[in-house]
Amino acid sequence: MLKQFLITACLALLTAVPALAQQTVSGTITAENGDPLIGVNVVEAGTVNGVLSDLDGNYTIEVSQGASITFSYTGFETITVEVGNQSTIDVTLQEGVQLDEVVVTALGVEKQKKALTYSVTELAPEGFSEARETNVVNSLAGKVAGVNVASTATGAGGSSRVIIRGNNSLSGSNQPLYVIDGVPIDNKNLGAAGMWGGADGGDGISSINPEDIASISVLKGTSAAALYGYRSANGVIEITTKSGASRRGIGVEFSSQLRLSSLIDTYDFQREYGHGLDGTKPTTEAEALAQGLYSWGERLDGSSVMQFDGVSRPYSDVGNNADRFYRTGSTWINTLTLTGGSDKVNFRFSASNMDNEDILPNSGLTRRNFTLRTNAKVSERLTATLSAMYVYEDALNRPRLSDSPGNANYTALSLPASINVEDLRGDPNKLGAIGDGTELQFNDNIFVTNPYWAAYQFENNTQKNRLLGKIQLQYDLTDDLYVRGKIGLDRYTYRSRNLTPYGTAYSPFGQISETNNEVQELNTEILLGFDKDLTDNISLTLFAGGNQQRNFDETLGGSGSQFNVPFFHSIINTANRSVSFGFGEWQVNSLFGSAELGLMRSIYLSGTYRNDWFSTLTTPDGSSENNQGYYSAGISAVVSELVDLPSAISFLKFRTSYATGSGPGVAASPYQLNLTYGIFGQGHLGNPLGGVSNGSIPNANLTPLLTKEFEAGFDLSLFGGRFDVDFTYYDRRTEGDIISAAVSSTSGFGSKIVNLGEMTNSGVEVLLNANIIRNENFSWDANFNFANNQNEVVSLLTPEQDGESLRAGESRTRNAYIEHVEGLPYSQIAGFAYNRNEDGEIIIGANGLPEQGEFTHFGTGVSPVTMGFGSTFRYKNLSLNFLIDMRSGGKLYSATNAFAYTRGLHQNTLVGRETGIGPIEAADLEDYYQYIGSNITEQFVYDADFGKLRQVVLNYTLPSSIIEGLPVSGVTVGVAGRNLAILWSGAENIDPESNYNVGNAQGLEMFGVPATRNVQFNLNVKF
Amino acid sequence: MKSILRNIMLLLVAVSLTTTSCDDGFAELNTNPNAANEIDPNYQFTWVQLRTSGGRYENWRAGLIYSSMMMQHMSALCGYWTGDKYTYNAGYSSSLFDRQYTEAIRDVQDLINTLESGAAGDQTMLGMARIWRVVIFHRLTDMYGDVPYFQAGKGFLEGVDLPEFDAQEAIYDDMLKELEEAVAQIGSDGGFGSADLIFAGDTDKWKRLGNSLMLRLGMRLSEVDAAKAQQWVGKAISGGVLQAGEDAFIEHTNGPEGINRNGIGEVLDKSNGFGDDCPRISETFMNWLKDHNDPRLSIIASPSANTGEFVGLPNGLDATTIINNPTGDELDDFSPVNQAIVNVASPMMFITSGETELLLAEASVRGWNNGDAATHYENGVRNAINMWAAYGFPVDAGDIDAYLAANPFDAANAMQQIGEQYWAATFLNEYETFANWRRTGYPELTAVNYPGNVTNGTIPVRLALPQGELGVNPNMRTALDRQGMGTDFAGHLTVPVWWDAN
Repeated sequence: MLKQFLITACLALLTAVPALAQQTVSGTITAENGDPLIGVNVVEAGTVNGVLSDLDGNYTIEVSQGASITFSYTGFETITVEVGNQSTIDVTLQEGVQLDEVVVTALGVEKQKKALTYSVTELAPEGFSEARETNVVNSLAGKVAGVNVASTATGAGGSSRVIIRGNNSLSGSNQPLYVIDGVPIDNKNLGAAGMWGGADGGDGISSINPEDIASISVLKGTSAAALYGYRSANGVIEITTKSGASRRGIGVEFSSQLRLSSLIDTYDFQREYGHGLDGTKPTTEAEALAQGLYSWGERLDGSSVMQFDGVSRPYSDVGNNADRFYRTGSTWINTLTLTGGSDKVNFRFSASNMDNEDILPNSGLTRRNFTLRTNAKVSERLTATLSAMYVYEDALNRPRLSDSPGNANYTALSLPASINVEDLRGDPNKLGAIGDGTELQFNDNIFVTNPYWAAYQFENNTQKNRLLGKIQLQYDLTDDLYVRGKIGLDRYTYRSRNLTPYGTAYSPFGQISETNNEVQELNTEILLGFDKDLTDNISLTLFAGGNQQRNFDETLGGSGSQFNVPFFHSIINTANRSVSFGFGEWQVNSLFGSAELGLMRSIYLSGTYRNDWFSTLTTPDGSSENNQGYYSAGISAVVSELVDLPSAISFLKFRTSYATGSGPGVAASPYQLNLTYGIFGQGHLGNPLGGVSNGSIPNANLTPLLTKEFEAGFDLSLFGGRFDVDFTYYDRRTEGDIISAAVSSTSGFGSKIVNLGEMTNSGVEVLLNANIIRNENFSWDANFNFANNQNEVVSLLTPEQDGESLRAGESRTRNAYIEHVEGLPYSQIAGFAYNRNEDGEIIIGANGLPEQGEFTHFGTGVSPVTMGFGSTFRYKNLSLNFLIDMRSGGKLYSATNAFAYTRGLHQNTLVGRETGIGPIEAADLEDYYQYIGSNITEQFVYDADFGKLRQVVLNYTLPSSIIEGLPVSGVTVGVAGRNLAILWSGAENIDPESNYNVGNAQGLEMFGVPATRNVQFNLNVKF
Repeated sequence: MKSILRNIMLLLVAVSLTTTSCDDGFAELNTNPNAANEIDPNYQFTWVQLRTSGGRYENWRAGLIYSSMMMQHMSALCGYWTGDKYTYNAGYSSSLFDRQYTEAIRDVQDLINTLESGAAGDQTMLGMARIWRVVIFHRLTDMYGDVPYFQAGKGFLEGVDLPEFDAQEAIYDDMLKELEEAVAQIGSDGGFGSADLIFAGDTDKWKRLGNSLMLRLGMRLSEVDAAKAQQWVGKAISGGVLQAGEDAFIEHTNGPEGINRNGIGEVLDKSNGFGDDCPRISETFMNWLKDHNDPRLSIIASPSANTGEFVGLPNGLDATTIINNPTGDELDDFSPVNQAIVNVASPMMFITSGETELLLAEASVRGWNNGDAATHYENGVRNAINMWAAYGFPVDAGDIDAYLAANPFDAANAMQQIGEQYWAATFLNEYETFANWRRTGYPELTAVNYPGNVTNGTIPVRLALPQGELGVNPNMRTALDRQGMGTDFAGHLTVPVWWDAN
């Protein structure tokens, strides 16, 4: 792999276009009062080529011809200067960067940061490519206060769960809206594991190439996102992609990255007793098969023991099966970027290829991104933007999770100490198979699949072809008045093939499904804006417009069972075939307006209004209430501009706002207002078949949920920007949440849809930033962010009744549930506690088993507290950055550990095996621990607290003296690590971030893909 | 300035054009092009019948893993065949309950509602639907005791999302009343015609089906309320019950969807992509068939793979303890169920003329029926054996005569003899086997005492309700209290249902 890396790097060097000449620029940087500024970032625009100014404010930098240089310094205005023919550029920076800093806000509108009446965090994608995640949003973990990124144990191509300021809805999605260059994208989770198994199908945001990202703006609260109306409540993540710049010639940049992933071995099972039951080891093949999953045998003594295949092997610890079964994963990423432009037109094009081999054998992900963005100034008044992103994703064998059928992780991680996983390999030419080509079974439960058979013979492959496109025109009617029109498209085809091969123990003749899912969202927006300084002290910004959102989602699937010709795995070869078809189409029309009044350039009043009309809430007779309005109002005051403050305070702003908003659930759920009947085309013996198709009791009076949020905070900058504080308090209430309430199944339905949920989220977000040391050769920055979100489910089905609960999920052990409970935070892990006496001791019943105690809610599956600590060191051309990500306060139910009890694999089950525990005889301990495994939920509820060394990035930019004479303008090499270590964890044997899906039943774990530690090697060459 | 104003006007026109009245066409857009707002009652009745026959899920768990094992029709070594060992698996135990309400009851209530409203269909259809509703419900209450009945399946129709659990006695009273009214409602014309998978809409047979159910349900009360039992048995007999050859079953096909297939076949049929190889014919049942030289033996069982002999597997063994078993020490030493009768396209029996005649015989023994017990017994046995013709295994009349000659009606041991024959006659309709065994105590099965069993070595007398329901529906707590049951669900297996009073 390293060889491939070098070859590619060399090829890149050899094929490089002729270099543009380099030129040296130097100068002095001073503040307005003439003091030299030390440690100013001096960067060649659009590149990572940069230096810092020295103690006297002097700098020297080598740049390519035609380049621009950007000077940035915390607390000061950033300026960019075109080099032209100059060799000396002296600059004077003006204080008060925050005064004119511009951020991207709702609908892609840029605003002065000081005018914001709410909290927006904008961040540059530092480390996003160097320490890359296959799903780019995982890179946000620990970086933004109030943004809780939960990755899942779903392998490289899996989905992530991003929650901003807590969960708003018990049933709808709680994930933010993603907007790329002003265009909302679809972030549907394409398949998730549940209690009966399944696989994660990936999500929408994971398609984005981190190298295309210029900046990310996180609109955390409802106020910030209010102009997105029904999509505002969960916050919005606005991604701005890189664009071209005016320059001479075409800029070429090549980067190459190799990432190696290895399993983090969190598993510490007992290695003292081998396979068997009742304290004995098997003596026959049949017994060995029946006991193949259990570690209730004898103490390992090296004696001979019968195994599942009739072969006798030593009865001893065979060593680490996880290391044998999983491999070192690798990801190879190459990106070529071209940029160019003139005064009138510029473009940026990038092509990227990522090839991933996951640690789970025969599983991986290939992703190709092609991104083009062009900006054109067609005339003095007309500007046009055209951007397109094409993404192809090919996932090989998305891992099956949770329950055992087809789940390789299930067996690979739970074999008894005396069974070597490699003995399950079977036929070397067909892994996991015996001579006749069928599954090599190692136990008598046909549903517990041989891990090699699961990994190599099962198929779960998906391909996604996606096009994201945007056309935007803006015409400036006058200097103050403009009209902007925009069409944004997100369309993809998701193709999946799911094979249970011929010869699988639980399905001897096999089955297959081939599915095609077409998804589209089209947004058409038109906006009229007015922006004018009426006097020196009064400014006015107004805009109004409309948006039409149209979606469809269509699934055509074929499935077949019973392959006629053995091992010929085509749906054409199946004896029984059926077709499925799913279709949904919906539309939301919106009108919106916004006004902002600025006084004395330091006090800002703003307000917005939006009304949304929903097709999904429209009954056939049109009588239903089908629209909802949302508004926001806020004020900000830059106190440091208005009052004389101590000189240590460089900047101080207070802001507060109030807004109403909503979440996406109901708008995207067509046809659920009335009872409908499904017709089953195949009929039965010539008779047509049909029945009620609603699984939920329908409700014609649905409305979208409503959130109401108040927020207040301040931005403080001390000592000329050396120390910054950003503090926010918010309080949000969700009303009329659409609940798919778990009714009694005896009602004939699994649930009912009602507008009854009420929930609150309140919390604080703190962001601290310090420039601790800054001089010519060395700088040290540190930042810390903290957020604590307190969530409470206020009311569920009956407003006047307390203590109600709503079931959202269940573990495969059928002994742990996720419930939303009044008075408690969202997503409670529920189940049975131990029955304890007054002293808190566990009561053992007359049958020698612990007693099942009360049905208890053990805590929330979502961590309320998130923290991140990061630091960056720069020494000359070397930079080092690390990030520690921490969570606390959440819980996790581990079915892996429950099975480890039942199987006799858990370390705790060693206690008393030979001596008994008190009155419980040793011989009864197997029953004792098995009883706990399947009846006592409490034992397996863990604190999901953790601290992880999330990211370490080390970069070295080759000094110009070294690359002199080479046909390149800059070379950066680096090594980075991602998820290098779990520093602390509240869970046993598993990664505390092992939820197996991203839905609203958070807090369940079971045999997911193990966590990985990633090391990445980076090379970036600019020509 | 003028041109600017013109531009603004144009823009406003454009905005208003794109958003005319803001919800134009929404009603049409929100109408599902792939679902219907109304349905032909015929389609729905066929659907309900197939749903009652059930899927692989509940046939596997409640039917085979529990009932057939407890009744020693079959036995298994596999640990997850819990019914053989009287261990408790929550999901298996509650499976019939878990599936039937959302699959069969939702639609039968909807269908009855449509028919009652007169929006479609006719009175004969309504009578048939009401009879079928009893078919569904009596199995549930027999298995689980007090269950939701009066308010069940009405989540949409009446907005009842947490139905009350009704006392079994009240359920029985109403089911019997329903049968009486429904039979009277069936006219000489109308009905479902070929959409009825049982009797192709034959109204006379449906009346006899209703009466036979009345006989079954009435007889169920023999131990708890003999007077009431006798009253209903009498009504059923005078109304007329199923005749020879009138077995109520659904013909299944091999797909294309699960609903078309026989749920038992989906579990056991090895030609259908999957066959659970765990169960064998129980030694108890095998020996009974052998002892009686029963012509059904070679229909029901296949020879053991290893020996070619018909050998039953003793109940209560596992892969370890089988080693010491004298009649065979591995699974393939024993006889499996004949694949030909547990095919995905095999019929599914609900109530047969054989078992009906046996109940008539019992009624005669009890003095509740004018008829001759011996005659009913012989008819019962004869019809029960002839039932296998529907599976493709007709038995020669001569063989049946010989069988009856060898096993004549024995007035002294009539109850036992009838009970055993009923047990044999209801093979694969294990819900019914389990109910009649609990009522009569026949056949006299010897319980196993498997380590870790939850019944103290006794055969369970009901299945436990779903634990999860308790968290959702507080009405379940009332029902448990009423029946003297706590929250130790495993312990419920030893609590008799109301009519199981002996």
